[in-house]
Amino acid sequence: MNEILSQEKSIYIQIKEMIENDILRDILLEEERVPSTNELAKAYSINPATAAKGVNLLVDEGILYKKRGIGMFVQSGAKKKIMEKRKKNFYDDYVKRLMAEAASLGITREELIMMIQEDGAEGNPYTKENNKAAG
Amino acid sequence: MSKIVASGVVKRYGEKEVLHGIDLELEQGKIYGLIGRNGAGKTTLLSILSSQNPATEGTVTVEVSPDDARPDGLQGKSSGAGNGSNIVKMRPLSAVVREPVWENPKALSHLCFSRELNQMVGNSANTMKVKEYLKIASLFLPHWNQKMADHLVAEFGLDTKKKISKLSKGMLSMVTIVVALASGAEFTFLDEPVAGLDVVAREKFYQLLLEEFTETGRTFVISTHIIEEAADIFEEVILLDEGKILLKENLEELLERAWCVSGREDEVDRATAGYTQYHAERLGHSKSVTILEPKPDDAGKNERQNAASIQMRFARNAAVTVQKVSLQKLFVALCGEEH
Repeated sequence: MNEILSQEKSIYIQIKEMIENDILRDILLEEERVPSTNELAKAYSINPATAAKGVNLLVDEGILYKKRGIGMFVQSGAKKKIMEKRKKNFYDDYVKRLMAEAASLGITREELIMMIQEDGAEGNPYTKENNKAAG
Repeated sequence: MSKIVASGVVKRYGEKEVLHGIDLELEQGKIYGLIGRNGAGKTTLLSILSSQNPATEGTVTVEVSPDDARPDGLQGKSSGAGNGSNIVKMRPLSAVVREPVWENPKALSHLCFSRELNQMVGNSANTMKVKEYLKIASLFLPHWNQKMADHLVAEFGLDTKKKISKLSKGMLSMVTIVVALASGAEFTFLDEPVAGLDVVAREKFYQLLLEEFTETGRTFVISTHIIEEAADIFEEVILLDEGKILLKENLEELLERAWCVSGREDEVDRATAGYTQYHAERLGHSKSVTILEPKPDDAGKNERQNAASIQMRFARNAAVTVQKVSLQKLFVALCGEEH
């Protein structure tokens, strides 16, 4: 959890997403203790109430659970839960935006599909195509 | 002491009225940010809340319970850190008593206003040494923590044998920080604590403050002009504008209803119809404005739930860009206009 806080999102959301990212990347393992709100507050120079707000959202979602007097822990099955949630949002968060930008640039659906299919093989297929047309 | 309550506080210096009827409640266990432009009345307000200055009209009271017999004043208090592991004693409402702060030794023992320090006293140099100044502070503050004062002096590398008149602006600020943190007061007010401090010392101050806050849950009110970097440590922000409180709100909630909308002028106007446009800026055909959504409790609850947040509504309208606003930008938008 060493990301730098940005202005683009509420801080408690960023704290929540950072913990999620660490779980997805196996930096925080299931049944492992997560930093306390006070530790988070000091690490990021943020108000403890803000850190607590982010952590509590993860408790509500069943990603973390509280052990009285000891701290917060990663729930077993948390990683799977986060992946499922993010998959559900993938269309809204990424695909919709991708298609909107493509539409405003006049990129057709077919061209878009081609880009995805040929991705990684030989660089940017679209510019390659254009160069061919130009040459 | 669970609360400081100011009601109808007016302050006049001769003909000039600097505070126009301030109603304010400060709860225990929070870090408040007090922001306002030069001359808005921040220092006057803090001096009245701490009884260093009498109000012309209105009252400042503290809420105490009669069975409030804590020997050190902080025992059993919630840490304010929201860990949920602290036991908060519930008391019947009738047990809460309001007492005035003015000339009330018990209330004053839990208040500390660490004022800005100057090299001069009146027209002559302040020849008091730092250690003498700290000694005097320790005599006036019954909950003084000498160990912490020594620790902070070492942390900042302050030379306590120096005369106050020989200190730089940053060092003067360090002395006021030492007094505030070591005061042990339940309610501690800091006036421009980071003025003149270099960026490393400022970071150190925020760290020390958070450390003390998470350990004790003392209440801090911090006035500052360096809004951007201090904003993250505030739980609530009090915005003072020309002697009036413009708003007092949980910072996260405030920033969640503030947006900067930009795009072609007519599209921006259409998208923000019905909202007050703050700080409109034009560049050719484009325009950007700051808007503030109503507080959730102002609008109907169902209405709020149905209408997704404004950003979602705007996002569908690709003609305008909607962005989050920082506290500093919002402050400029709300207080920057000439009245």
